[in-house]
Amino acid sequence: MTVGLVGRDATTAAFFDGAAAGQFLIRRCSPAGHASRPQVRQCSTCGSTELRWVPASGGARLVSWAVVPGRRGGEDDAPGPSIVVVVGELDEGPWWWSQIVGADPGSLAEGQRLRIGFEGAEGGEVVPVFEVA
Amino acid sequence: MPANLDRRPVIAGLGMTELGQVYGRSAASFAAEAVRLAVADAGCTLGDVDGLLTSNGSSGGVGLGLQRDLDLHDLKLLSEMHGYGSTAGAMVQVASMAVQAGMAEMVACVFADAPLRPGRSAGDVYSGPRAGTGRAERRIPTGWGGLLAATGVSGANTLYALAARRHMLRYGTTTEDFGAIAVAQRAWAATNPLAQMREPLTLADHQASRWIVEPFHLLDCCLVSNGGIAVIVTSEARARSLAQPPVHVLGWAQSHPGRLFDRDENFGLVTGAAQSGPAALGMAGVTLAEVDVAELYDCYTYTVLVSLEDYGFCEKGEGGAFVSGGALGPDGKLKCNTGGGQLSSYYMWGMTPLSEAVIQVRGQGGARQADPHDVVLVSGNGGILDHHATLVLGTGPP
Repeated sequence: MTVGLVGRDATTAAFFDGAAAGQFLIRRCSPAGHASRPQVRQCSTCGSTELRWVPASGGARLVSWAVVPGRRGGEDDAPGPSIVVVVGELDEGPWWWSQIVGADPGSLAEGQRLRIGFEGAEGGEVVPVFEVA
Repeated sequence: MPANLDRRPVIAGLGMTELGQVYGRSAASFAAEAVRLAVADAGCTLGDVDGLLTSNGSSGGVGLGLQRDLDLHDLKLLSEMHGYGSTAGAMVQVASMAVQAGMAEMVACVFADAPLRPGRSAGDVYSGPRAGTGRAERRIPTGWGGLLAATGVSGANTLYALAARRHMLRYGTTTEDFGAIAVAQRAWAATNPLAQMREPLTLADHQASRWIVEPFHLLDCCLVSNGGIAVIVTSEARARSLAQPPVHVLGWAQSHPGRLFDRDENFGLVTGAAQSGPAALGMAGVTLAEVDVAELYDCYTYTVLVSLEDYGFCEKGEGGAFVSGGALGPDGKLKCNTGGGQLSSYYMWGMTPLSEAVIQVRGQGGARQADPHDVVLVSGNGGILDHHATLVLGTGPP
């Protein structure tokens, strides 16, 4: 398991409910249906504060990635596993940042198709990750 | 240009404490010493200071209390400012406007930081929380930041690495291009007595240094330093009776992109320098071709490369070819980061390029002095390419 612990608060509770049900929730404004990142407080396109939570398709394309080497500090001071952090552009438009699981960084390419998956850590919320589609 | 030429802003003092692995002192102590040094450098006294702008690094502790620490009375301007690496430039801008307006006569602008402690690595200061390291968590993080950190998205190294990779993917920029910047700046640092890293560096050394976050090698990343730097901004008229050659603040601008992180986002490809550069040059009444020296914010080699493009020293996307073709370094055609920058000299956020610019405009650079040095461009970059401040400094009005 390479994801860490995160707990919910008032602004993230709905998002984590979605993640626990296997859905990546984004925001859409009620007036026009514009898609925005989950974090926004108003519509990125029109500024409306009337926002709904709606499931994204889960499809994305790879924008960028970085390889974070495992850091020493675990039991017996062994280095932890490297992780690959990526920026993905959801098919709806918004960007999301997370690690990609099960991918060889040497095989990644800009524009590559990704999909959202989910991982949970004992004692924390289920969090979205990327996988190669 | 203001109507009253006597009130044109000038940097008249520069104070720099010992910088680097200097332990056992607080940031507030460094800040107070930096202001005292800047006042002495200018040839005036603390009693002449009637404005104070402060800014923190990562350790905090530099704020309004500095007035009390320095026993400053009847200040006409006092504020704590924060825009990360853009703050130093922003402080000089606010001080310049206060002087122009007649609101204050002599404004001290100071930054200090003391994140280093014996036994604590520089990486620990800036890397942020990490997922999956097996370290005991004192409390479970929450919020969107907590969510991102849980999946490994945290810390300046990782976020800038994602920006740099995007530039590499889009324009074909390579790690060797980044290395050319590290090598060029180390060559400048070799002749800077203030620099922490002066040993010669080769591209092979750069390539062999360990990955911090790929595509960044260790030698793509700035140092971490303790210390403080202050400048004194005053009027052209007041500066005439002071000790140092005047450093005129000719033009300035800021840019805060406010990224949407949605389709067509230019994160990693374009920075605020693209907007603040032309605006500052326009205010100064000079063209880019008239810039003799560029002091560019270099938290990473990559930020130098992308800033060179955005200011227009080369075309967008051609930064890699520009730097690997030998444009930088003491023998290059563009005198850039002449003190070695934050990569090799010292890491005082926006005060690093600003302090070296003041030294260069004055002609006090010794073995590393650029000539000519009539117009010097200073670039500050803060956050993850979120905040930009540009200054155009010079020996006099164009």
